[in-house]
Amino acid sequence: MTRCDEPRGTLQVTGLRAGYGRTTVVHDVDLVARGGRVLGVLGPNGCGKSTLLRALCRIVKPTAGAVELDGVDLAGLHRRDLARAVAHVPQATAGAFSLPVAEAVLLGRIPHMGMRPTAIDHAHVDRALTMLDLDALAARRVDELSGGQQQRVGIARAIAQDPRVLLLDEPTSALDLRHRIDAMDLVHQLAHEAGLTVVVAVHDLDLAAGYCDEVAFMHAGHLLVQGTPAETFIPETIKRTYDVEVVVTSADDGTPQVRPVPTATRPLLPALRVTC
Amino acid sequence: MTAAPGTTVTGAAAPRPAGRWRLLVLLAAVVALGVLVVASVALGSSGVGFADAAWAIGARILGSDVTPDGERVQAVVWGLRLPRVVLAVLGGAALSVAGVVMQGMLRNPMVSPFTLGISSAAAFGASVVILFGGAASAGGRTDPLVVAGALIASAGCAALLLGLSWIRRAAAVTLILVGMALNYLFSAVTAALQYVATDQQLAQIVRWTFGSVNEADWTQVAVVGCVAAVAFPLVMARAGALDAVAFAGDDAARGLGVDVTGLRIVGSITAVALAAVVVSFTGVIAFVGLVGPHIARLIIGAGHRYLVPFAAVSGALLLLAADTVGRTVFAPVVIPVGIVVSFLGAPLFLNLVLARKRSFL
Repeated sequence: MTRCDEPRGTLQVTGLRAGYGRTTVVHDVDLVARGGRVLGVLGPNGCGKSTLLRALCRIVKPTAGAVELDGVDLAGLHRRDLARAVAHVPQATAGAFSLPVAEAVLLGRIPHMGMRPTAIDHAHVDRALTMLDLDALAARRVDELSGGQQQRVGIARAIAQDPRVLLLDEPTSALDLRHRIDAMDLVHQLAHEAGLTVVVAVHDLDLAAGYCDEVAFMHAGHLLVQGTPAETFIPETIKRTYDVEVVVTSADDGTPQVRPVPTATRPLLPALRVTC
Repeated sequence: MTAAPGTTVTGAAAPRPAGRWRLLVLLAAVVALGVLVVASVALGSSGVGFADAAWAIGARILGSDVTPDGERVQAVVWGLRLPRVVLAVLGGAALSVAGVVMQGMLRNPMVSPFTLGISSAAAFGASVVILFGGAASAGGRTDPLVVAGALIASAGCAALLLGLSWIRRAAAVTLILVGMALNYLFSAVTAALQYVATDQQLAQIVRWTFGSVNEADWTQVAVVGCVAAVAFPLVMARAGALDAVAFAGDDAARGLGVDVTGLRIVGSITAVALAAVVVSFTGVIAFVGLVGPHIARLIIGAGHRYLVPFAAVSGALLLLAADTVGRTVFAPVVIPVGIVVSFLGAPLFLNLVLARKRSFL
């Protein structure tokens, strides 16, 4: 597919390098996130998934490479225009101050509004609250909610932002099974029905296989491979990424399923050698 | 999570009762401040009451002829009470807004102009002038040398605070720690200066550190008013950005298009300028900058669009009420506002905190 054939909302990443101070965390990453699709970023803790997402929306300024949205270099956009195009949901951060849920979601309208929110801004908030099943909690303060509910508030804020690209940093890490499935259903809907480009960092391989149209495996800041789950979920890739042995099987619908191979039993503690 | 994500958004949103309620609270506070201003101008130990004060203000504005007794009334109202009342209003508003900005942008409820060293630096600057100014310095709050000393020291502290923090790209924790270190440093040096001061100099230094608007004049009012007139709109224009940083954190705020580093620089300069100018004229009034924002938050909520104007009004109310009580209850003895404001404000704050079952931050 040539660039002019790409669907709207295509995020093209070329040679992206980013880090903190003199430490480079993401090394020369090339990837494509397509409009109306979900791209899962997989990899072990500390491999650079969060930094990659932060570099995509320029929270961390890349030291090399380019990120283009529909051929427009994001580096050339004013930060407000960038925020209208790309929304980022960081992992939950507890703060000293808190707001009612509806007002916390209204923060997502900051790139769009002037001094005061308009009826349109409130309508976006109402829609986001409904989509995340937060209507009943709208008047509650965010710090009174559970970790999972706070994560949903973060996603609602990003939806209220009305972006073309949604970057989600481990959005299911604090959710129970019901809300994890709900959240990934929503992510899938946002991409396939609303046409958003969704890039989501996830840990759960089965969840990624079930909900992501494509996945990208990362290890030590490098992108190992990008492709559909069926193409990339192979024991060798998972071994290179996580250093674990797995067996990959297929469900009836062809979705890959990952099952770890138990390692050889070894004592949890080194044997004590008692000498007298 | 069942609504279709692609739903078209229209403007038919329900009215927001919370916003209207907050506006009413803000208006009520403005009316209360107006009443207190009138009462404060009319109250005092010189026998000039409401009618006299109203006449004096009217006569000056209309340019009427004044009798010798009228001149005394004019002097009391225009020379003593009005500048004092206006300085208390502006000073309270400035310190409270400075506290709101510092706490919000640094995401820390313990931060204030006092904890970041601005007040200690001003006290240090005033002490140096009182100690080494010699015959050139009268040592009081109206002494331009003392004011200049306090202003230069607090501006220097602010420059150090911002400069050292800039090295770490204005990270919140760095700003707080640098501020605390400077606070302890200036407090220690001021204590050392007190140790070597004569009895008269020591009395002057201690008197300066009891914050007061006793010696307010129109020049002080004009300077504080000009700084506030520039600073308040700057802060209000950044209310949304302050919300983003205070409630969502630096990363999320950047993702919302907020220039977090720029906000911290502009916010620090604004808050420090407000606090430094007020403290240079009034001495140390720590309570308003630290607890004033929390009292405002308890009443109107934490969103900065209403919090900033309400904190300005409630800070003004707090300082003016304290000054009015301090100069009338034990008249003719005048108790410095820096002492009274803590006596009045602390029980009010504790009552508000204890009346709530949940956190108010």
